[in-house]
Amino acid sequence: MYIIENNKIIQTLLDWSAKFDVFAPQQVENYSQYLQVSPDKELILSNIHNTRFPPKAFFLPQSEVMLKYNANINKLEEYVSIPKQRLLFGVRPCDAKAIKLLDTVFCTEEYHDPYWKNKRDATIIIGMGCNDPCQTCFCTTVGGSPFNHDGLDALITEVDGALFVETFNEKTNELFNSFSKATKEQEKHVHLIQKSTESGMNKAFETKGLKQNLDQIFESEYWTQISESCLGCGVCTFLCPTCFCFDIVDEIYRNQRVRNWDTCMFRIYSQEASGHNPRPTRKERTRQRLMHKFSYWLDHVGEIGCTGCGRCVRYCPVGLDIRAMLRTSYEFEREVVNV
Amino acid sequence: MSDNGHNPYNPIPMHIVRAYYESNDRSLKTFELVFDDHKDCVDFFDNYNPGQFCQLSIFGKGEAPFGVASAAWEGEFVRFTVQKLGSFTQYIHTLKAGDPIGMRGPLGNGFPLDEWKGKNLVIIGGGCAFSTLYALTKHVHHPSNRPNFDQLIVIYGARTSGLCMYKHDIQSWYQREDMEIHQAIDVPEDDWLHHVGYVPDVVKEVAPLPDNAVAVVCGPPIMTKYTLPALVDLGFPPENIFTSLEKRMKCGIGKCGRCNIGSKYICKDGPVFSLAELQALPADI
Repeated sequence: MYIIENNKIIQTLLDWSAKFDVFAPQQVENYSQYLQVSPDKELILSNIHNTRFPPKAFFLPQSEVMLKYNANINKLEEYVSIPKQRLLFGVRPCDAKAIKLLDTVFCTEEYHDPYWKNKRDATIIIGMGCNDPCQTCFCTTVGGSPFNHDGLDALITEVDGALFVETFNEKTNELFNSFSKATKEQEKHVHLIQKSTESGMNKAFETKGLKQNLDQIFESEYWTQISESCLGCGVCTFLCPTCFCFDIVDEIYRNQRVRNWDTCMFRIYSQEASGHNPRPTRKERTRQRLMHKFSYWLDHVGEIGCTGCGRCVRYCPVGLDIRAMLRTSYEFEREVVNV
Repeated sequence: MSDNGHNPYNPIPMHIVRAYYESNDRSLKTFELVFDDHKDCVDFFDNYNPGQFCQLSIFGKGEAPFGVASAAWEGEFVRFTVQKLGSFTQYIHTLKAGDPIGMRGPLGNGFPLDEWKGKNLVIIGGGCAFSTLYALTKHVHHPSNRPNFDQLIVIYGARTSGLCMYKHDIQSWYQREDMEIHQAIDVPEDDWLHHVGYVPDVVKEVAPLPDNAVAVVCGPPIMTKYTLPALVDLGFPPENIFTSLEKRMKCGIGKCGRCNIGSKYICKDGPVFSLAELQALPADI
């Protein structure tokens, strides 16, 4: 465990900028957002609120060129994006865990998504533990914690104005080995703070048996009730660190094939050419969102596809709260799925 | 198909060698594609299995999935029959022999032919969904494949005789001694010598025996909906009834997220499922 003094962070990040593009949360309007560090900008590291956008866009940009071509002669022009070495600083454990979950989607045995993988391989992620989880946070409910290591190359814990760094691999060992080491006593104290913060978080909903319950109430009235006030705006999915659905479209005037974030909350998402739509109303679309995260993810990789960042709760324009929705699910009678 | 180190989103460069209308209303057109690079051809046929599909890709227009309508032994080309429906298929219909086109695939699982070895095949198709069943029938017809299966019964329905696909070839199936062919149209027409009626009713009429048999059903949702129970009534267990599903797809490789039914992706885990598998999935079709 290493120690960095709070007032040395900016200089350290600027030093690293010689080797990496370094990004850290900074103030933009009323929110914090990942921007490249520069000497004149202040960092927002221990803000109670996480960044508005999760860092997934560093690997799956909202809009990304996949192929370039010359449509006139129907020829693919070689398109290889060579990603720059990047360092993300101050990533919250919920968001880092989400990136690790998304690795299981984009890098499967069968198919490696080269766009995701190239950027992942070129990026170091240094996390910032959460001493002060906010009202909408529920990472501990879904198997995470405010100091979770998943998806991180190093984790920083702030204690009494000093930053303690735990490194998890050679890459980050090298970055920090010139810093002074924490004493055994300090390490103990840091772990104590981590534990007490974690244990201070309440369980937002019961996850034991949740999947089985959701599977069984697939045909229930429950989905109509919880989706009644949904506007179908999709903000819950666009700001979700684990949502990854994308659309592929051709940008004719730019001669590019592009992928853009898409959302299961839109009607057109699953609309077929014949006119048939398997998810014609908000009921089916809300069901898809919740079932994907709390049932299908478990079938795929054995983990819940939600990391408890709380963005969908905080930014929903009509105040829909996924935690309340899931608590309600237990009130519905178990029905046998009728196929 | 394993694709590590290779971009699975890059279309394979192809050219159309033959393009012809299948139906008299010009809504169905068949395209036969050849590979520009022989290596792609070898890779394709190393991996291709009837029942699989490909994404046809046109720069500046986009991509859409289509079932493969040819068997590997027919030659070094890949056949697709495209129904003119949306903007992309309208554009494809303007293409002619000599035009370039991109293709990604083969994608999906295809029919479990190894599992079906030694069994009777009952192939039931309706409308343009018959295309992959045509590929399957052609595959079975090959002298080196035919001994792997016992009886072969094909039931194929279309709304009108003008919408029947692959006419000349199917006409020749009546002369074959190693199969039964039953064609049907929805409403009577002069000069039509075969069945008249909806596919589920024709299935009941033909009444294929379930013993040591598998049934494969591909067709519009309404046909599939009534044909599956008809087969169950005839005594086919759900494990021996197969169907191929369709959904809106983009990536075709299980990444873009939209074609799932429950935890299965149609593009990656399908498109071919047994009725038993479908019964275990939520009703999200």
